[in-house]
Amino acid sequence: MTDRATFLGRIRTEMRKTSGLFPATTAPRPSHPRLIADTLRRELAERWRDTLERFRTEFERVGGVYHRVSTAADVPDVVLGIAHERQARAAITWHPSALGTDWRAALTAGGLATTAMPAAGVGPPGERQALRDLIAAADLGVTGVDLAVAETGSLVLLSGSGRPRSTSLLPPYHVAVFDREALVESLGQVGVFLEAWHDGEPAAWRGGAINVITGPSRTADIELTLTRGVHGPKEVHAVFVDGGLRG
Amino acid sequence: MSELSTPFRERAAHALDDRFLQQALTIATTKFIGLRREAFDAFPDGDALRDRARQIKEATLQRLDEHLEQLIDNVERLGGRVHYADTADDARRIILDIARRTGARLAVKSKSMATEEIDLNEALLHAGVTPVETDLGEYIIQLAHERPSHIIAPAIHKTKGQVAELFARELKREVAADPEELTRIARAELRQKFLDADLGITGANFAVASTGTVVLVTNEGNGRMVTSLPRVHVAVMGVEKVVPSMTDLVVFLAILAKSATGQKLSSYTTLVQGPRRAGELEGPDEFHLVLLDNGRVRQIAGELREALYCLRCGACLNVCPVYRQIGGHAYGYTYPGPIGILLTAMLHGGGAVKDLAHASSLCGACAEACPVRIDIPRMLIELRKGNVERAVAPGPEQVVFKTFARLLTRPALYRLVAPVGRLLQRPFVRGGGIRRLPLFFGEWTRTRDLPAIASRTFSERWRDLEREGRR
Repeated sequence: MTDRATFLGRIRTEMRKTSGLFPATTAPRPSHPRLIADTLRRELAERWRDTLERFRTEFERVGGVYHRVSTAADVPDVVLGIAHERQARAAITWHPSALGTDWRAALTAGGLATTAMPAAGVGPPGERQALRDLIAAADLGVTGVDLAVAETGSLVLLSGSGRPRSTSLLPPYHVAVFDREALVESLGQVGVFLEAWHDGEPAAWRGGAINVITGPSRTADIELTLTRGVHGPKEVHAVFVDGGLRG
Repeated sequence: MSELSTPFRERAAHALDDRFLQQALTIATTKFIGLRREAFDAFPDGDALRDRARQIKEATLQRLDEHLEQLIDNVERLGGRVHYADTADDARRIILDIARRTGARLAVKSKSMATEEIDLNEALLHAGVTPVETDLGEYIIQLAHERPSHIIAPAIHKTKGQVAELFARELKREVAADPEELTRIARAELRQKFLDADLGITGANFAVASTGTVVLVTNEGNGRMVTSLPRVHVAVMGVEKVVPSMTDLVVFLAILAKSATGQKLSSYTTLVQGPRRAGELEGPDEFHLVLLDNGRVRQIAGELREALYCLRCGACLNVCPVYRQIGGHAYGYTYPGPIGILLTAMLHGGGAVKDLAHASSLCGACAEACPVRIDIPRMLIELRKGNVERAVAPGPEQVVFKTFARLLTRPALYRLVAPVGRLLQRPFVRGGGIRRLPLFFGEWTRTRDLPAIASRTFSERWRDLEREGRR
C-alpha cells in the first residue's frame, strides 16, 4: 500500500507541471481568532434584540418552534408543556454545569422522568452502554446552545463532557435553551467562532463533534414528499431566556 | 461503477420510454431548479460568495500538498489514522483490513458518492460485513439492488408504490404506499442498525486542514448517527475535498445547500474531529481517514483540473436538458449529469466517455448553475477533441466528415460534386429532408435528419440572379 511520502510525492510532481488556472487566494483568516471572537461578542451584545428577532423568523422558517421566557426558572414549565402535549414521559438533559442551570427536580416533579448526563469521566463500558440505552429510550432531549445563528435559524452545539452528541439526536423531541450570549448574526461570524474554538489547546471538557442544527431531521426521498423526523428529532424547540442562563 | 452491458444509446432510449421516470425527472428537476433560484434570489451576496468559493478551490489546489500535510498531521495528532489509496482497489482493501482487524460484522453508511465510486458495498459483503445504507433514498435503492439516479436524490426514479412493495418484501408484511408511513418504518428499521453497528462509514463533504475536521452535510441526521454510535468511523474522501480553514469552510456552507436543495443550510452540518475524547460518552474509539486518488491526482495538471472544484451539489444535473430527459442511470457510471461525464473521464479515462461526451447540447446551463462556476462545456469539448484525436469516433463517421471538410474548402470540387449528390440522394429524400440512410450511415440518421441538397445550389442561383440583373 502507498505510504504518505509516495502519495504526497506524486501530488507534488503533478503540481510542478502547472501554475494553475488563475491567480487565487484562500479566505483571509483572523490572526488572533480568540481576541476577534471576544470583540465580536461585545459588539453583538449591543444589538441582540434585532438579532433575536431575525433568528426567530429564520428558525420558524426552517420548521423550528420558538419560545421565550423571562428567567431560567420558567424553562421547566415550557419543557413540561411540550412533553405533556406529546405524551413524552422520559427526558435526558445535558449536565447542569453545561446548561448553566439545574432543572432536574422541577421536571421530575412535573411528571417527566429526567436524567442528566454525567459531568465528566464516563466510567466502565457497562456504564456507557447503560447511558446510551437511556438516551435511545428517551422521548425528549434538553440541551444548551453555543451559537444561535440569525441568518440561517441554526443552533450550533459543541459536544463534550456532560454534553453527549446524541442528546439532540436520538429523542424525537429536542428542546434547546439559550440566551443572548449565544446570538450571532451570520455564517461568517460562525466562522470566527469556529476559528476561535480551534485556536490553541481546547478546554478539557471539549469533545470531538460540533453540530450545526437547522430545523428538524427531514427527508424528501420518496416522491419529494417532505417528511420530518427520519433519523433525528421530528421537532426542534428553541427556548430563549431573557434573564440569562447563568445568572 | 459501470453498467456497460448495454451501450449508452440503448440505455438512453430505455429511459426515454419509461413514462414514470420521465414524469419523476421533470417534477424533481423543476422543483430543485425553482428552490435553488429562490434561495439565491433571497441572498444578495450569493454571486460574490460563489466567486470567493471558486477562488478558494483554485488556491487550495495550488498548494494541495501543504494542505493535505496539515490535514494528515492534525488527524494524527488527534489520535486518528490516515490511509492512502491510489486506486479504488486500494481503498477497498484498506477498509476491509480495518473491518477485519476490528471484527466488524455490521456497517452503517451515510450517503457517500466516494464509497459508491469504489464499489465498497459489494466488497464488504464478500468479506462477510453487512453494509446498510442509511440515507432513506440510498436505503431504498439498496433494497432494490439499484444505483443512485441523482447525486442528492438517489431514489427519485421510484414511486411510493414501488417503495412500499420493496419494504413489504423486506419486512414480510403489508405496507401502505404513504411516504410518511414509509419513512416511519425506515426510521425504526435503521435505528436498530445504528445502535448495533460496529463500523460507521462516511464520505466527507469537506475536510478542514487547519483543524483535522471532517465535515458531513445531511438532512436526515444519519451522518450524525454514523459518526456518533459505532465504535469505528471510517471517512473516505477524494484528495480535492480538503479546505484550508474554518473561514474557508463557511464560505462553502453558505452556497452548498442553496445550490443543492434551496435550503440556507441543510438540517445537519456535522464537524467531527478524530475519535471520542476523554470524558465523552459517544463517538468512535477509532477514527480512520482514507485519502483517495483514483484518477484525481493526474488531473491536477490535466485538462479536467477544474472538475476538481466540484462540491457534488447536483445543481448541474437539474438544469441539464439531457439529464432531464434520460435521468442518472442512462449515464451508466457512478456520477451522472454534466459533471458526471467529466468525473467519469477522470476516473476511467477519456475513452470511457466517447459516447457520453456527446450527451450534452453544450447549452451552458450547467456552468451557469454551478456554485463554483466550473466551465463544464469547455471540458466536454476538450474530451470530444481528445476522442477525435485518439480516433475513437467510428471509422465511417471520420471518413464522411473528412470528405465533407475537403469538399467545403474546395469550391471547384464542390460545384462539381453537388449535382452528383443531388442524384444520389434521390431515393432517400422525404419531405425536403433525408431521414434514413442505408448501411452504417443508418446509425447516424437514426436520431438525426439531414437537410437534402437543394435542387439548385446557392452559387447556381446567384449566377442566375446576376444574369437576370444584367438583362
